[in-house]
Amino acid sequence: MSTQTTIPATSGAFGGDMHLPKTVKVKNLQHFFGEGELRKQALFNNNLEVRRGEIVIMTGPSGSGKTTLLTLIGTLRTVQEGSLQLLGNELCGADRDLIVRLRREMGFIFQAHNLFESLTAYQNVNMAAELVGLDPMITDGRIKSLLTRLGLGDRIHYKPNSLSGGQKQRVAIARGLVHKPKLILADEPTAALDEKSGREVVTLFQELARDEGCTIIMVTHDNRILDVADRIVNMVDGHVKSDVAVQETSVICEFLKDFPLFSDLTPTTLAEIADKMMVHEKAAGESVIRQGDAGDLFYLIRGGSVDVLIDDGKQENKVAELKQGQYFGEAALITDEPRNATVVAKEDSIFYALNKEEFQAVLATSATFGEELRQALFNRQ
Amino acid sequence: MLKRRTPLAWKNLTHDWRRLAVAIAGIAFAVLLMFTQVGFQNALFDSQVKVIDDLQGDIFFVSKAKYTLAAEKRFSFARINQARSCSGVSGAYPVYSELTTSVLRKMDRGKGNRGFPIRSLGFFLNDPIFKSADIQAHLHLLRPPGSALFDQKSKAKKFNFPKDDDLALAQQALELANKNLTLVGTFDLGSDFAHDGNLIMSAENFATYFPHRKRFGDPLSVVDIGIVHVQDGFEISAVKDILTQTLDKDVQVFTREEFRAAEIHFWDKSTPIGTIFLAGKLIGFIVGMVICYQVIFSDIADHMPEFATLKAMGYPTRYFIRLIVVEALLLSLVGFVPGAIVSRVLYGWLSGQTGLLMYMTVSGVAYVYVATMCMCVASGMLAVRKLLSADPASLF
Repeated sequence: MSTQTTIPATSGAFGGDMHLPKTVKVKNLQHFFGEGELRKQALFNNNLEVRRGEIVIMTGPSGSGKTTLLTLIGTLRTVQEGSLQLLGNELCGADRDLIVRLRREMGFIFQAHNLFESLTAYQNVNMAAELVGLDPMITDGRIKSLLTRLGLGDRIHYKPNSLSGGQKQRVAIARGLVHKPKLILADEPTAALDEKSGREVVTLFQELARDEGCTIIMVTHDNRILDVADRIVNMVDGHVKSDVAVQETSVICEFLKDFPLFSDLTPTTLAEIADKMMVHEKAAGESVIRQGDAGDLFYLIRGGSVDVLIDDGKQENKVAELKQGQYFGEAALITDEPRNATVVAKEDSIFYALNKEEFQAVLATSATFGEELRQALFNRQ
Repeated sequence: MLKRRTPLAWKNLTHDWRRLAVAIAGIAFAVLLMFTQVGFQNALFDSQVKVIDDLQGDIFFVSKAKYTLAAEKRFSFARINQARSCSGVSGAYPVYSELTTSVLRKMDRGKGNRGFPIRSLGFFLNDPIFKSADIQAHLHLLRPPGSALFDQKSKAKKFNFPKDDDLALAQQALELANKNLTLVGTFDLGSDFAHDGNLIMSAENFATYFPHRKRFGDPLSVVDIGIVHVQDGFEISAVKDILTQTLDKDVQVFTREEFRAAEIHFWDKSTPIGTIFLAGKLIGFIVGMVICYQVIFSDIADHMPEFATLKAMGYPTRYFIRLIVVEALLLSLVGFVPGAIVSRVLYGWLSGQTGLLMYMTVSGVAYVYVATMCMCVASGMLAVRKLLSADPASLF
């Protein structure tokens, strides 16, 4: 097993609970609007994976395609090209029955509340509950506790007319959550809410994600709630520009900070470096780099361990053993010389690699870099 | 377990009471239009056959050329005798009728006002002809020459006589076919489209007033309607078959229902009346449909984002169709009830004004309700296309 993938290190694909099922799996997804000459591509070759229980925040300027992607994931638009798997079902070419069935496993929270004026808060929420055929007794309790939780305990039987904008939005949120959806798609859910109830809503999201394995994808520009995100997806011009697992990125940044050359860099720069790293996998016994080869990558060990061997002309001597969080391969990039050692994976290992150009570009950003470098190399000997 | 669903159709319908009031008024108006047409049509038909309903007897026969009661085509008295000879017949009786020469004129200080044709019915006083207890009670008064009973439902505009006071009525100076006539009492029959009023009298008097019914010979030897009473224990249809075979072919034989149906059929199909009323009903139907469509369509149009949200939640197409059908049925019901009540009041008023028999029959109510239902559901189905076009993708 030896793979050099195009998966970015920060996608988190190889960190944390990498074996959790994927709620959403987007592959090479394209989408077009219009017909004939007016046909305009809105999404270009998008890839995205969202795991069960993840909270994903999508950002990006308007027109970047994030709403289109959200409607495609939500089965509200037909998938034209590429593959989109939702809860294990392929949506490309799916029939109406499957789509209706999938929609019942999702909760939608729209920017507008879209409540029926003729129904009370309770009845509006119940419209979502009775569709999936929950036991009425349980539903009743759940509706009341949800509404109470969202601060509407005394307004359960009010009609939307006598509720404020924020209250209506909270009723709509309760409607999106009441049937225990496996996936919640939300569009600016907190935009109409004050700080306190906005916080209550995202706390509720976190509980659902943690306790019920509910996956949440929301489009938001509300930076007050960015802290709940497990993953931040940024879209620009119809591409997923960055897809960053927050937890994994901070792990990488911690590792990178231990590298003396990077120790002075700001968290922003570190995150940028992390963004540019790619995942490499090696099986036990495989060599990662070979002494004498041209150096082209800088490696960070994400998992596993390696032996560093130096061939002095007669035999290979093991000079070091490196573990998770440690790095190698930087010398050849800095000095532009061939690899000065061979590195062999001791067990199945995962590496995050940064290529030479990126590595040097990063280093060039630091004015003191040259000096630092020499110091570092000197100290090593 | 029966699940109680949120009654969304009802809630949406009743949420805005102003819109509901307009909807009810509109549909009630359409219902009223249809009821008026149905009422007039039934009244017309019922009035046309009221005289048949008032006659006793099981089987009727008239001249083959008599396409409606108002057509003055007669047959020979010999047919009555032929009928009397048939087995299963307990009695056969003639009824005489005269319209065109039967002009009733009110005399004023020795001069005649303008006269108006009135239907005169003649029969032998010993024959069991009329069902009405009123007539039975007055039979003896009809024996003197020049006496007749007056139909108090005759059109008041033409025959304005005191109806409640028999004495005053008897004192009216009247001429029928230029001979003096004394009205000795009243009975109930009613006018119809061909006849503005009715008189009944004995056959003997009838012969005096209308001696020229037959160019030569006894005016009573030509009969307008033959009535047959069937003996107990005989099938009416069997006796009718015997009569059909026995009687000369210049008469047509009917059971009571057939006679009634044939008369109604003439007015419905052979005159423009049926078509006119059908057009009237259609107009009511279309007006109702337009109103109903407007109500349902604007209800849908105002709730497009909400319906789109329901779609996004996973409500299937059939839910929306059912929703609109239920809403249409509810509309038809809430519109029909007040419409029917107003129509009932109108019927009463029109009966008083016109003397036409306007009453609500079960079949009439059922007919109009089914029409109302079709009207609402059809317009609902037209409007539901708008709902089905709701696009949940537009919500994000």
